[in-house]
Amino acid sequence: MLVTVAQALINGLLIGGIYALVSIGVTLIFGVVKVVNFAQGEIVMAGMYTSYFCATLLGIDPLVSLLISMPALFIVGVCLQHFLIRRVLKLGDMPQIFLTFALSLLLTNVALLLFKADYRTIQTSYSDTAIHIGPVYIAVAKLIAFGVAMLLSALLWVFLRTTDLGKAMRASAQNPEVSMLMGINPDLVFAVAVGLALALAGAAGSLLMPFYPAYPMVGQVFILMAFVAVVLGTLGNVTGALIASLMMGVAESLGIQFVGADSGLIVVFVMFLVTLIIRPNGLFGGKRR
Amino acid sequence: MADALVIRNLNKSFGGLRAVQDVSFSIPEGETVALIGPNGAGKTTTFSLITGYHRADTGSVMAFGRELVGLEPQDVCAHGLARTFQVARPFGKMTVLANVMTGAFLRDKKHDVAKRKAREVIDFVGLSAHEHAPARDLTTIDQRRLELARALATQPRILLLDEVMAGLNPSETDQAVALIIRLKQRGLTVVVIEHVMRAIMALARHIVVLDHGQKIAEGNPNDVMTNPEVIRAYLGSNYVHAEASGAGQC
Amino acid sequence: MSGKFSRKTLWLSVLFALMLLLPQFVTSRFYMDIVIRVLLFSFIGVAWNLMGGYAKQLSLGHAAYFGLGAYTSTMLQINYGISPWIGMIAGGGVAMLASLPIGALCFRLRGPYFTISTIAMAQVLMLLFLKFRDFAWGAEGTTIPNLGDAPWMMQFEEKAAYFYIALALLVVGLVVTWAVERSWMGYYLVALGEDEDAAQAIGVNVPKMKRHIYLISTFLTALAGTFYIQYIYFIDPPTAFSFNISVEAALVSIVGGIGTLWGPVVGTVLLEVTSTLLQSWLGGGHGGVQLTVYSLILMAVILWRPAGLLGLITDVYHRIFGNKQQSEQEAALDG
Repeated sequence: MLVTVAQALINGLLIGGIYALVSIGVTLIFGVVKVVNFAQGEIVMAGMYTSYFCATLLGIDPLVSLLISMPALFIVGVCLQHFLIRRVLKLGDMPQIFLTFALSLLLTNVALLLFKADYRTIQTSYSDTAIHIGPVYIAVAKLIAFGVAMLLSALLWVFLRTTDLGKAMRASAQNPEVSMLMGINPDLVFAVAVGLALALAGAAGSLLMPFYPAYPMVGQVFILMAFVAVVLGTLGNVTGALIASLMMGVAESLGIQFVGADSGLIVVFVMFLVTLIIRPNGLFGGKRR
Repeated sequence: MADALVIRNLNKSFGGLRAVQDVSFSIPEGETVALIGPNGAGKTTTFSLITGYHRADTGSVMAFGRELVGLEPQDVCAHGLARTFQVARPFGKMTVLANVMTGAFLRDKKHDVAKRKAREVIDFVGLSAHEHAPARDLTTIDQRRLELARALATQPRILLLDEVMAGLNPSETDQAVALIIRLKQRGLTVVVIEHVMRAIMALARHIVVLDHGQKIAEGNPNDVMTNPEVIRAYLGSNYVHAEASGAGQC
Repeated sequence: MSGKFSRKTLWLSVLFALMLLLPQFVTSRFYMDIVIRVLLFSFIGVAWNLMGGYAKQLSLGHAAYFGLGAYTSTMLQINYGISPWIGMIAGGGVAMLASLPIGALCFRLRGPYFTISTIAMAQVLMLLFLKFRDFAWGAEGTTIPNLGDAPWMMQFEEKAAYFYIALALLVVGLVVTWAVERSWMGYYLVALGEDEDAAQAIGVNVPKMKRHIYLISTFLTALAGTFYIQYIYFIDPPTAFSFNISVEAALVSIVGGIGTLWGPVVGTVLLEVTSTLLQSWLGGGHGGVQLTVYSLILMAVILWRPAGLLGLITDVYHRIFGNKQQSEQEAALDG
């Protein structure tokens, strides 16, 4: 019993690291640009397919193609902000929600057209290896993914706290006029924020590839998790999103272990609903007004 | 005359900040009172506490004998208190007429009645020419007029106006003052938050001064303007010994 | 003004007469099926639009009520032999009941938070129905027993009958919307959609208004659920609670004209016609084409014409008939 719990906790924590990369991206964009990116899950999918084709066509290991998917999606993010999101920033909820939602639909369905609904997986040297600690085993691919995810989160944290651009991002999350006062072009701040968020999601995709199948609808799993985590951790709060994501991963894993294979999501949603009832502003939120 | 609004020992904190501390004042029915004080003194917060947008930590707000603390904004409005916002908040997509009709529906759900009443108030504030214009196309000043009309359409007995004169030129200010005097003549009790001395002097026989969330003075305009506490609040402690008579004009 | 009014009435009467006669002209089951889909999704869009369009509560979880309507009538029919006609109303009632706690939770949130919470709610309901095997056939779903021509059980040999039901639903939806738009409710809904605080300041009970319009919107959506399941003779959670239902309800309204009476109808006609043309050009087997095109249209509308395409059509109408003078403002959003 104890072993099962420990096993479930570890599995949950490890996948929670991936959820964290996605949710931190969502929360970063919301914090700085004040738009919820419904397409963040599809960016994970894009990262997965990038690494998939790098592996199958060029023989590049997913951990190396991280160095391709991240900068590529950073550029996509900058373009997304510059050509699309920027144009709806002053238009209110409907355009802001449905623009990125349309993008999510578009990416899923273009992927469906191009790659069909097939599940695609790749084998790496470490895909099937595991470390055994007593009766508990830890899949190496997941451990690497978790480690890199935490490293990237830490790097982002350092970036937000030490660089001028990072500070401007945090400032404009508090108050949009501040970055202008700091003499930093808000368009640049916004574009870099969206770029970084997409790069993180892309990284999540590459890190998943050794142990998770790529398919056009794969983003839905991650965006739902991210939404729940982000609301739990309060929209716009990076550390909150990280902690909430790890909790969600654990909750999902325990749900799968003890309620049934198809119940992970139910547990996660129940957590979400309970949070809404007791703390409508998220676990790490302050007062609304 | 009986008091329309009685505020007793009102307190409100946000986190560690004590935005309103132990504020008490009362307003006789039919009177016009000005609430003044430097920026951040707690004037708008006091409005929000009266109108139900914030809930007071402690204290009481009685309007015509009824306790308002704990009521939602719409109930406060139904009880006869209408407010405007510091920055006008029109329903941009709706026309001027539709905006004001929305206010009028509070007292009568019949379309024709609401429309007739709305037109009366629109005429009163001088917006008839723009009746069919979408509210977002109005100038800032006309948007403020619209907000006043919308508030009046709810047939309030107490009107709370948050800096309606800010940014107006002297002749526009005089127009607005004239409008408020006409409201007073109709028997309305009016509370204004104002910085424009010209307007305050023309409108209010009674002034309440807030600073750092506390009431520091209250009384008729001349007494208040020569009160050393008030001068210090407005000009900083360095100026306490400056000429008091000059300070009143700022 | 009266001239314009009568012309509008005339157009509507002609349109309605044509619709009544349509089954006489369209005999192909294929085209009839498309027409029925257009009517049904217009109706779902109209139901969504009451809340999403007028009150700006942008739900992406209306599939929850579509599914509840579908499951209520199907369970009543299969387990107790109760006619889907009654089940349809019962489903509407169940949806309204469910909307109260769901609304109580979701309406605590604003903007994108609200949208996300509605998605989560619909997902939870689908997962529950997937899970409860004994209670509602679980993941396998069930087929509706075919009784042949059984009007009292909402089963018909002829597609024309389904057509008339769908048409009736749409007419009900449009009449409800028309009545709401013209009454004080319409003004209150648009006002709170524009600015909740300002609406409260003039006495609008925002939570109550949201609750009321949600009740109406979910009731209508549930009716569509019952009809759809009766039409396709099959139910399972992914069909009844399909995320695509939530999406299309919002999509047709936004593309056609959010917060307008005819917007969802215009949007559905446009999207369904596009999708049919695409399918006939490309043939089957291209999964993803339809939604790719839908999402491109949606993005284009948002970027270039966020008020929707209905405005474009009325502009063209006014240009052709040279009838440009403003009508009297009779509804919250006219003009």
